[in-house]
Parts: sequence; structure tokens; C-alpha cells
Amino acid sequence: FKTFNDGERLIDKTKVTCVRWVPGSVNQFLCSHHSGNMYLYNDELICTQDRPHYQLFKEGEGFSIYTCKTKTTRNPLYRWSLGDMAINEFAFSPCSKFLAVVSQDGFLRIFNFDTMDLIGSCRSYYGGLICVCWSPDGRYVVCGGEDDLLTIWSFSERRVVARGAGHKSWVTVVAFDPYTTLYGEMDGVVMHNEESYNRNNYNSTERSGKVRNKPPIINSRPNSVVSDGLNATCYRLGSVGQDTLLCLWDLKDDYLRQSYYRPRSSTVVSNVGSDGCPSNNTIAHSSSLSANSTQNCNKSSNHVKDANNSTGPPSALSSNSLTAKLASLNFVDRRGGDKTSDKDHKRSMSLAGRNSSSNLHKKDSRSNNCSSAAEGDVSSPSFGSKSSVGTSQCPRMDECPLLEPLVSKKIGHERLTGLVFREDCIVTACQDGCIHTWCRPGKQAGAALHSSPSPSSAGISQPLAAGGTVV
Amino acid sequence: MGANASQLEKEIGSDQFPANEHYFGLVNFGNTCYINSVLQALYFCKPFREKILEYKAKNKRNKETLLACLADLFYNIATQKKKVGTIAPKKFIARFRKENVKFDNYMQHDAHEFFVQLIDSINECILEKQQAGRNRQQQPQIIPTNQEDISSETLTPDQQNILNDVSLNGSNTAPGSPHGQQQQQGTDRQQENTWVHEIFQAIVTRELRCLNCESVRSTDEVLNNLSVEVHQNTSITHCLRCYFTTETISAENKVHCDNCASLQEHQKRTRLKKLPSILVLHLKRFQFLGQFNRPLKLSHRVVFPLELRVFDTSDDAVNPDRLYDLAAIVVHCGTGINRGHYFSIVKSHRFWLLFDDDLVDKIDPSYIEDFYGLTSEIQKSSETGYILFYQARDPT
Repeated sequence: FKTFNDGERLIDKTKVTCVRWVPGSVNQFLCSHHSGNMYLYNDELICTQDRPHYQLFKEGEGFSIYTCKTKTTRNPLYRWSLGDMAINEFAFSPCSKFLAVVSQDGFLRIFNFDTMDLIGSCRSYYGGLICVCWSPDGRYVVCGGEDDLLTIWSFSERRVVARGAGHKSWVTVVAFDPYTTLYGEMDGVVMHNEESYNRNNYNSTERSGKVRNKPPIINSRPNSVVSDGLNATCYRLGSVGQDTLLCLWDLKDDYLRQSYYRPRSSTVVSNVGSDGCPSNNTIAHSSSLSANSTQNCNKSSNHVKDANNSTGPPSALSSNSLTAKLASLNFVDRRGGDKTSDKDHKRSMSLAGRNSSSNLHKKDSRSNNCSSAAEGDVSSPSFGSKSSVGTSQCPRMDECPLLEPLVSKKIGHERLTGLVFREDCIVTACQDGCIHTWCRPGKQAGAALHSSPSPSSAGISQPLAAGGTVV
Repeated sequence: MGANASQLEKEIGSDQFPANEHYFGLVNFGNTCYINSVLQALYFCKPFREKILEYKAKNKRNKETLLACLADLFYNIATQKKKVGTIAPKKFIARFRKENVKFDNYMQHDAHEFFVQLIDSINECILEKQQAGRNRQQQPQIIPTNQEDISSETLTPDQQNILNDVSLNGSNTAPGSPHGQQQQQGTDRQQENTWVHEIFQAIVTRELRCLNCESVRSTDEVLNNLSVEVHQNTSITHCLRCYFTTETISAENKVHCDNCASLQEHQKRTRLKKLPSILVLHLKRFQFLGQFNRPLKLSHRVVFPLELRVFDTSDDAVNPDRLYDLAAIVVHCGTGINRGHYFSIVKSHRFWLLFDDDLVDKIDPSYIEDFYGLTSEIQKSSETGYILFYQARDPT
């Protein structure tokens, strides 16, 4: 039992807003405060009762990082300062390399945690951002805030790709449901992750949790989903808010890839093509990526090769290049034949209508790819204009696709404060201290209610919509 | 009082105290907190204060109008030697009561009603002055005061059951055409834009689209503030979205379309066409409910962010994604419209201050959460945000 920042609160006097173990480390944890600072602690070092003296370690646009001015290492190891507005939540990417931070100033900031570089940001439509999470494959970051919206940010494109409107008040928690996310396999057949597969996944994360031997604060999202060569085609996302609503959303991958700024950057699609997963290359040299993608447009075989050489999906950080190869191959495959997306149609009820039109977009943009690949890239990593509306960091409402929830259900009388997807249930928490566990529907229920080819893909939505099954 | 004042100064710190800024409480003359709270909120709406002080500078010796009294009061606060203290808005209140019979008593009144009345009166003063300047012979032809307009409007049957409906907003409704077919004089005056219009005026456009021939008829309504319905556990964003609705009129409610020369299904849309530089949002927390004779207070929890944009703007809106910052909140405490207490919370420079009549306190912004409302329906009394003042953050 140890305490940090106790006694006179010499490190930070404001309230703690979020604590997480640093994934992949045995003794480090990160803690954010209302003051707008985050502190990295090592739990093996005792917290001494003297005021830390900081010295600047690294500085970037809108943030600065300090270390303690001491001969011996002491806590906090680092202080990340993101301005004077409260940091509301942060989340490590599934590959544990990146850190997404949302704060009251309305910004989502994505850092490379190790190099401490700011690699991307976006802004809420207005008001503070309250919550943040990563898609299980690390491709998308979703945040919710005081604009009652979800903001979906694409890692590879470094821009807001969609917003979600359905909440009637502030969004307090967003979480992906890895168990009902649909994955496409390399041969182009869409497959819902079977229960057995799921269980494997679950166990593996549990095991890794044990290895780390830490309390369950560990960000234990199954990271390994993609490393099997599967490509998510439809993400299931849940959100809860102060409006007491639980909303479930389907984020269709090919829908999110549509470029919405038709006149300016139909090119983004091509970039995604080149790095189906966030590429390390992009982070380091954005200019070289633009070169890459131009190349890619010319020869698609080249393109796959490039992706293998220069990019590694963060979700499969430790994995081999084979994974990346499979992933990219799969992607090219899917774009070639629309066999898969046809199947998607049947499955996703929420976006079926839009999808047909979005396929048109896709074709359009494909033909434009080569011509404007370079300019599209230029616009992405510029943080200078990030605060103004109408940029890729904060598009206008009509410049960005607006999603609606698949299901929206009032599940209580008090505002909701917690949401966790588990293999067999969904757990929600609310302000008055109640925790509810919601059963996922059995396979039978799903089969009865859905005509989709794979009954298990029916998802958890129906019973909830029908009135809920409380356990 | 004195102790409080010096404490405030200490709390802010003399080096931190904004230059040329004065934080003065207003003395309560018996249930005048509804006036004090709105005055403080307006004082800290920068464009409004600047215009009032500008008026004062231009019109040193003037006949006593309500505007002149307000200008004197603001000037009095702005030119105090001390940074903090209290002031008695005696002259202003006396003048206001004299001009408005309804408020000429010691009862508690609705702060929103006061706000509407005040803005209208000021506008009248400016227009009168403009007219006097232009046409000296015709000068004192007394124009019917706006108060009469309002009270007659309130009597329309569909508004009797809902207190504080749109008609109370001092709106100049112009049915039929954008500029209306009101009396000649009224139209003349409406077309003249005063700075009051520039600051507060929102234009709401109601479109009626025939679903058969796609022809669109639209009517504009000029409002000084938007009165939104409140719902439990929602945000002001949602309340605004409900205000700007889209509905389809069909079946027996079909409307005659001139173009089709027959009854047709229509789509009705309400959108914001002109975004004001100060967006005043009134939460309709006092409502008559069937069996009760008096308005009940809805203490619903309605959250309001420090920043705001309006979603439902019309296609021809000039500045549709104008970003607003919360500048002031008028808070109502208590159970009913004619009882309880008002105070205001304002943002001044980097500080949030609470003005409760003669008391002024620096508060932590997180304290604002306490005034969102209640999630339980049991308690009748509550301290809730009632009028929100959002100020446009325009690039300068």
C-alpha cells in the first residue's frame, strides 16, 4: 500500500481525473488532474515530502513536458502540462504506443508516448471533451463531449472522419465493443468473431494482465484481435451520457473511409489504402508519406509492398511483418471486389441506406486519387489552424458525415457514468451509485430477430431496445 | 459588506485585478433582485456595456429616460475610485417602476420579463431619440409603449396556458412577410436597426415547404432572446434543437399551397437565420400545469457548456458556425416565479464572479455545475440557471 501526492498535495492540489497503468511497463502509471497536468509515477519509488522542482524536458505546440530537477530519479518522473484546462480522460492505444488525451479545452491530442511527440489533434464542435477511447485495432479514436456529439478521428488520416449525434446531453463514456465488432478475413469473407475465438482473446488478455501483476485498472482491451490477419469492417461502439441514454453505434469501416470534403481531399482514401493501420512512417516523416502515397497510386502492387516495409499496425506492434502484409492484402482485396461490402449491407441495418450512396463516393474518389494525392496530405498534419472551425480538426457540421445511433435507450433516472463491454454482458454505472449488468442476447434471440446471414452478428441491441434485460 | 468587499479584492489579488474593472454589488430595494441580477449580467456583456457607456459619453445632459438612468448607473460603476464596493441603483429602479406600472410594487417579478421589458424600453429610447433628431417638429407624438403591445399579445388564447411564451420575448412578430404588415409607424421603426438590435437580435425563420411542388414560403421572426422548453437530464444544446424543429404537416392538418392551389402536405422547419452577438437563452422553467393555478417551477437538470454553437441554422445564415462563450447566468432560487431569489454569475476577464445583490464573490468555475438543476423530482426548491447569456467570440 502506497500513496502518492498525499499529505500537502505537493505535486498537484487539484482533483484526479484519470489513472492508468502504462501498458507494457511493470511499475509506471499515469495520472491526470483537473489542473491540466498529467504525472507519470513509478510505484517503486517512494513519493518524498518535498516540493518537486521541474525543468523543461520537451515542448511542443500546446504542451510542455517537465522532469524533476534531481540527481536521483524521483516521483513524478514526468509532468505533462497541457494548459490550464482540466484533462478529463486519457487512453493508451491498443498497441500501447500512443496516448489519446481529451481535455476541457475541447481538444483531443494524440501523443507518441515514448517520443513525447504530438502526432495529431482535433477539436470538439464546442465545449470540453469528456471521454475518449480507441477502436480495438487502433485505427480510430472516438471521443464524446459537451457538444452532445461523438467525434470520430481517424489515426491514419489525422482528421475527424465522422460525428455521431443522438445524445440529448453530454457524453460521459465511450467504449468499443470488441465482441460484436465485425471482422473481414483475408480471403474477403466477412466473419463475425466466434465465441470460441473471443474466449481465446479474452483469456490472452487476462493472462497478460496477470503477468503485469497489477490492479485491474490496466487498459485490458484485447489488442490481439487484428494480429490474426482480420480486418474490422464494422465497429460496434457504445456511449452513455448525462441524458441517461445508452446509445449503440455501428461504425462501418468503409463508410468512415469516405472522403467527405469532396472538392478538397478525395485523396485521403488513397492514404488509408497505403496504411490500413496507422503507420509509423507517417509520424516521423509526413513528407515521405506523401511521396509514398503518390507512388502508391501509380502501382498498387508497389503500394502493398510499401505498406509492408514502412508501416506497422500499432495493434500488432510486437508482431511480424506477415500480419501487416495480410492486413494490407486484405484491404486491397476488399477494395477490388465489392463482394464483402455487399454482405456488409445486409448486416448493418443502421447505415445500409447511406452506404449505397457512399459507395458512389468511393468510386468517385478512386478515380481522383492520383491527381491530388500530394495536396491532400499537406493539409493533414497542420496544427496551426486547429482551433478554427472548418478545418480537418474541426469540420463544419455539413462538412462531415453525421451518424445516428443504431439503438438509443434510456436505462435509468440518473446520469450515466460508466460503460464496460464484457464478453457476456454490458456493465453500466450511474451517478447514484448503481451498477447495472445487462445480458447480451443469446444466439437464439439473435437468430429470431435478424435475417442477416450470420445470426451471431445480431448484436446486443435488440433486447435492450425491447425493454432491457436486467440481471 | 465592507469586509466582503475587501476580501474579494484580497482574493483576486491587487496584481491580478483587471485594470479598469469594477466589481460592485447592487443594493436591494425590497425584492429587486430580479432587476439587480439582470443588470449585473448585462453589465458584464461587453458589447452592451460599451454601447451604454458610449451613449453616456455622447449624451452628457439629457432628459431623464430609462436609458439615461441605466447609462448613469453603468457610468457610476465604471468610474468608481474603488475597485469593489456597493452601489444603490435607486434612480434606475425608480424610473423603471414609474414607466412600467406592472413592476411598480414591491413584489418579486420574473427576471426574464424584466430583461425583455428593459431591452425594449432601451430600444424605444434610442428610436425616439433618432426620430427626434431627424424630425424635430413631429417630436413628442407618444408612441404606444411596448408594454401595452406585450400585454395584449399575452392574451391570445394559445398563449394563455404557457407563461413566458415567445410572445413575451418582446418579439415583433411579422406574420406573412419578413417585414410584416404592422402599423406604418411600427414597420418604420422596426426597419431601423439600433445597436440593441445589432447586439441581441436573432432572426428565426419558419419555412413551410410544400411536399408536392417543393415551393417554400418563409416567415421571419425577430427575437431578442430565445425561450426554450426544458426537459429532464438534457443539455441546452438539446433544448435548442427542440426549439428548432422540423415537422411534417399532413392528414387533416394539410395546408393550402398557393402554387398547387390545393391542400397539400407541408414540411415545417424552424431555423436560425441571424445569429446575434449576444445570444440570450431563457429556460422556460415556469409553466402552468393543468390542475394548478400558479406556475410551477421545473427544476430539471439542464447542463450548459461554457462554449456553444447553434446547430439549426438556415442555409442563408451569415455566420452559421459562430462560436459563443458563456458570459453570464441569471440563477433563480426557490419554488416559484413570484417568490424566491435571483442572483447572477458572470465571467469577467479570467474570473467567475457571483453577484448576489450587494454581495460579490469570486467563485471557482466548477461551482457553476451546482446550477444545472436537479435530477430528482421530489425537491420543489432549487437553484437553477434561468437566463443564459452567450457572447459571440468573433475573430478580431
